[in-house]
Amino acid sequence: MTEVRSVMEIQGVHKRFDATQALSDVSLEVVSGEVHAIVGENGAGKSTLIKIMTGIFSADQGTMTIDGEVYAPRGAAEAQRSGVAAIYQEPSVFPDLSVAENIYIGHQDRTWLVDRPSMIRDAEKILATLDIDINPRLPAAGLTVAGQQAVEIAKAISLDVRVLIMDEPTAALSAHEVDRLLRQVRKLKESGVAVLFITHRLEEVFAISDRISVFRDGRRISTRSTSEVTVESLVKEMVGRDPADFFAREDHPTGEVVLRVESLGRDGVFSDISFELHRGEVLGFAGLVGSGRTDIALALFGVAPADTGTVMLEGTSIDIRTPKEALHRGIAYLSEDRRRLGLSMPQSVTANVTLATLDRYRKRFGLLDRAKEREDAASLSERLGIRTPTLATPVSHLSGGNQQKTMLAKWLNARPKVLILDEPTRGIDVGSKADVHRYVDELARSGIAIILISSDLPEVIAVSDRVAVLREGNLMGIYSRSDATQERIMARAVGTS
Amino acid sequence: MREWVAKHRWEAILIVILAITIVVNVALSPFYLGVGNFINLFWLSIEKIIVVIVMTFVIINGEIDLSVASVMGFSAAVLATLHLGGEVPFGIAIVIALAAGALAGLIQGFLVGRVGLPSLVVTLAGLIGFRGAARVLLEDRSIGDFPEWFDRLGQHPLVGPIPLALFVFFAGLAVAWVTLERGALGREVYVTGDSADVGRYSGIEVGGLKLRLLVTSGLVAGLAGVMFAARLGSVRGSLGEFFELDIITMVLLGGVSIFGGSGSMLGVVLAIFTVLNIRNGLGLANVDGIVQTGVIGLLLIGSVLIPNLAQRFGSRRVALEAVAHGPS
Amino acid sequence: MNREATFALDRRGSSWLRPERVKELTLLGIIGVSVILFGFAVDGYLSGRFFNRVTTSVVIVAILAAGQALVIITRNIDLSVGSVVGVAAYLTGDFLATNTTIGAAGAIGVAMVVGAILGAVNGLLVAYGGVPAIIVTLGTLAIFRTLLALYSGGANITAASLPDWVLGFNQVTVFTVGGFEIRLVFVIAILVVLILQWAMSKLRWGRRLYAIGSNPEAARQAGLPARRLVFFAFVGSGTLAGLAGFMFLARAGTISATAGAGLELESVAAAVVGGVSILGGSGTIVGALLGAVLIDTLKLSLVRVPEVSEFWRDAFLGVLILAAVLLDTWLQRRFTRRWSAEARRAEGHLTAGTGQIRPVLDGGSSDA
Repeated sequence: MTEVRSVMEIQGVHKRFDATQALSDVSLEVVSGEVHAIVGENGAGKSTLIKIMTGIFSADQGTMTIDGEVYAPRGAAEAQRSGVAAIYQEPSVFPDLSVAENIYIGHQDRTWLVDRPSMIRDAEKILATLDIDINPRLPAAGLTVAGQQAVEIAKAISLDVRVLIMDEPTAALSAHEVDRLLRQVRKLKESGVAVLFITHRLEEVFAISDRISVFRDGRRISTRSTSEVTVESLVKEMVGRDPADFFAREDHPTGEVVLRVESLGRDGVFSDISFELHRGEVLGFAGLVGSGRTDIALALFGVAPADTGTVMLEGTSIDIRTPKEALHRGIAYLSEDRRRLGLSMPQSVTANVTLATLDRYRKRFGLLDRAKEREDAASLSERLGIRTPTLATPVSHLSGGNQQKTMLAKWLNARPKVLILDEPTRGIDVGSKADVHRYVDELARSGIAIILISSDLPEVIAVSDRVAVLREGNLMGIYSRSDATQERIMARAVGTS
Repeated sequence: MREWVAKHRWEAILIVILAITIVVNVALSPFYLGVGNFINLFWLSIEKIIVVIVMTFVIINGEIDLSVASVMGFSAAVLATLHLGGEVPFGIAIVIALAAGALAGLIQGFLVGRVGLPSLVVTLAGLIGFRGAARVLLEDRSIGDFPEWFDRLGQHPLVGPIPLALFVFFAGLAVAWVTLERGALGREVYVTGDSADVGRYSGIEVGGLKLRLLVTSGLVAGLAGVMFAARLGSVRGSLGEFFELDIITMVLLGGVSIFGGSGSMLGVVLAIFTVLNIRNGLGLANVDGIVQTGVIGLLLIGSVLIPNLAQRFGSRRVALEAVAHGPS
Repeated sequence: MNREATFALDRRGSSWLRPERVKELTLLGIIGVSVILFGFAVDGYLSGRFFNRVTTSVVIVAILAAGQALVIITRNIDLSVGSVVGVAAYLTGDFLATNTTIGAAGAIGVAMVVGAILGAVNGLLVAYGGVPAIIVTLGTLAIFRTLLALYSGGANITAASLPDWVLGFNQVTVFTVGGFEIRLVFVIAILVVLILQWAMSKLRWGRRLYAIGSNPEAARQAGLPARRLVFFAFVGSGTLAGLAGFMFLARAGTISATAGAGLELESVAAAVVGGVSILGGSGTIVGALLGAVLIDTLKLSLVRVPEVSEFWRDAFLGVLILAAVLLDTWLQRRFTRRWSAEARRAEGHLTAGTGQIRPVLDGGSSDA
């Protein structure tokens, strides 16, 4: 048992950006050997707090102390020297450097000369304590996201951090990888590190944390021991309203087969995938990240076409090689990666909504019918409740939830027959999440066939009519709503049954 | 007005610089405010600014074409060689020269759009290679003696005091402006310039788009080469050498981001006017060409540096937000 | 699989066989093969004289390419080196005309200081001014040249105004093996490349330059002093351009305001042919040297093939750059695929044992 004591104290921190009060009077005690979860909807002030703690922002008011001494870092390097480091949702490795170099590149205590053998030995040691079997000589270019995350944790350990902030570290991981990550976090905790764990996934909060702080509107609402908190009370505090508003889908009849996939395969990625998708149906895709869920979607959408098998759309065999063809046929894919694949950030809401269907607005000489664009964007934005100052506002100015809705609007505007939603609620707050669930239901009712890929099992089960479970590129089974329990799906997904 | 300035800060800065330039020019030279001088101002750089129009598309699309000046030389060399051979009617020779420019663009476009190589390297190879090809064709000869109608079109006014080349430029500019800011192609150029992946996932054929842009760039450079040949009345292997720097400078000075995704035709047009007027004014004041280039260089750096510094010291919040959202 | 065994295998497999090394060996091979081929095609080609000519002629571009590599590795570019060469050559010549006694070391020092100052201007604007390198150096390419034109007032540095030793500097021979003279300039260039290569692979700041080019955002998050490092990369490139400027002076004797124009592109070409990725993060200084040697060998050799007009040189060089980049891309893709396969094997090997999955939140937020 390590000694439990306060490492860092944050007192009365305020931070204002123009008209927005990002943080008001936030105080927090960070204790060594403890995992302290921070939860809250988007815009609650969590990110601002991290940035102040790691020296990227400076607070307008208030103080921070480490071991009683004033701590006011002016950048990540200074924060690191004081023993404070952060790991972000998207790990930031150097692909051209070796794993060992990735771990030690930022070290301030090393000499001018790089002693490669000793560096590799040290890296091996740290990786071994974390149960990570990665060759430290290999360039990081080959690592998966989970592997990169592991390297980041190893980096933090090598720095002898005392306060480690993890900002949504699990957002891009499969349940299985999350499991491993949480074990690594426990090891960190046992070694006396204070871990600040920020996540949208409440199940992780309960699995890992000792204490939970809820943030809302730039304030810390509460801090309580995890054992005293229930999901309901937590959600209530986060949103400031009753969780009874959350969506629960009702059964409804589905129509004829729209999409028939037979023995679809792509070498080394997935094989022998067969399923039918009906009009008005929501087919959930459950499975770990890397189980082939997204790969099947990308094959159907033409980004990375399959090499074997057939796809029939409304009875016609189709061979889609590009997203352009897919859209033309009526298959749309909402990507899990909003920033990189989903939205053109500098462009307006209108331009994003019409982006996938520019041909529809083409007039003579390739000019765009801008009035029609605005009209369509306005009606969709009203239907989905996109909150934006104007439709000409660049989407980069919108909140995560509203960006997600804009992306949904873009694909609805394509009027697809088949809509594939890949993690449509990742990284958005609880309120927007429920909104998205409601739209998915509405869309299905309007006759669109939907494939819903999600790592959030309760979500998949609640929203889908049937759930397909994938593991290592194989389809393990398709369960009707009544058979789809979390235990059964999880068991199939990891292969214990 | 204020809103426009807030949204188009760069263009506003350029308007101020342009205004200052014009005022200074008027004060310095009695010859400045004449129709003849105004036409001259465009005419003397007309080939460059025609290429600037197409380069704007390429850079907004997140690519670059360093080869344009060499392709100008290459096309002109093809024209001159065919003329010297004497077997092809001159009109056909012009068509072949333009096709040669388009072909140069096609080769580079294929490597960028289909093979996926960085345009900076591909067109650097093109810069060296197509200049080399022009030299292979012409060695160290100077070939002239073109048909009389060709020289006349290049060297004499067509309507009133205005030469054909100016009509070509303004017509091209109008088409390009509308295409970029009101056309579907323009939207695709912006979106894929900001993020090729977003474009691809939205059903835009990104590789094909880049290929088409580079073919157009080659074709327009070829046209500029032929026009330059007409204006000069003769062609050497070095025709247009080093023009790429001036051309790219004008586009960047116009506020087009070197990383793609942003910029406006208005900004580029203002940059063209500014550069031409500064050169013209300095020229009228008998300042050496090499010094003029230095002034343009200063302007290029200053136009990015000054807003940066103003942002850093003036409004810390914006700078912090930039940090928070990473480089964009 | 046994852990020790995996590492033993990797030590040979992955650590030694890197894309950089494959590129360097390929370049060496191509240089060797082309020398042999030209040896058959051209009478009296394989002579000490030709060796001496290549080794003397390549030094300027080789040194510039080393500096260029330094900058490109950080995901920047220095288009001003040609102008820096011109300014350094001119000012050093000017200085030597009045201070005839400073000697070679002094003159080289002057040239390098001039280069360092100009490099610092670039570095300041890029690293601290936040202006993209291509814009800065495109601008200073013109500005440095303009300042030189203003300073010179149209007057050239002439060979007559220089001390005699300057023009003989290129011929100074350290030692001779048969007809092969190892000239001092070549030794200097090789030393510069080797020292820089060593620093880039063994010194902490060298590795950090790679890190910055590999992922600038991550470098910032890791707290690397990215600005300072990029600044010094530009100072380094400028200093080396200054050194090249002195060699330019020694070779040409006559320096006009346009001296060195076009060298910026030659240095970028040499670095790229040498396998330095224009996207930053990878490539070596030795590779840049080999790129310069290959280009120069081909240039000087083609001239001697009677069937080929000397005008083919540039056309050929264009094709060579493309070939190099194609090879590069292909190699990079192959290696990345191999690395991910190895990484996956390692990660899979680990996960095979863990069966227990944490229970997912019961009931949960969406049913409540």
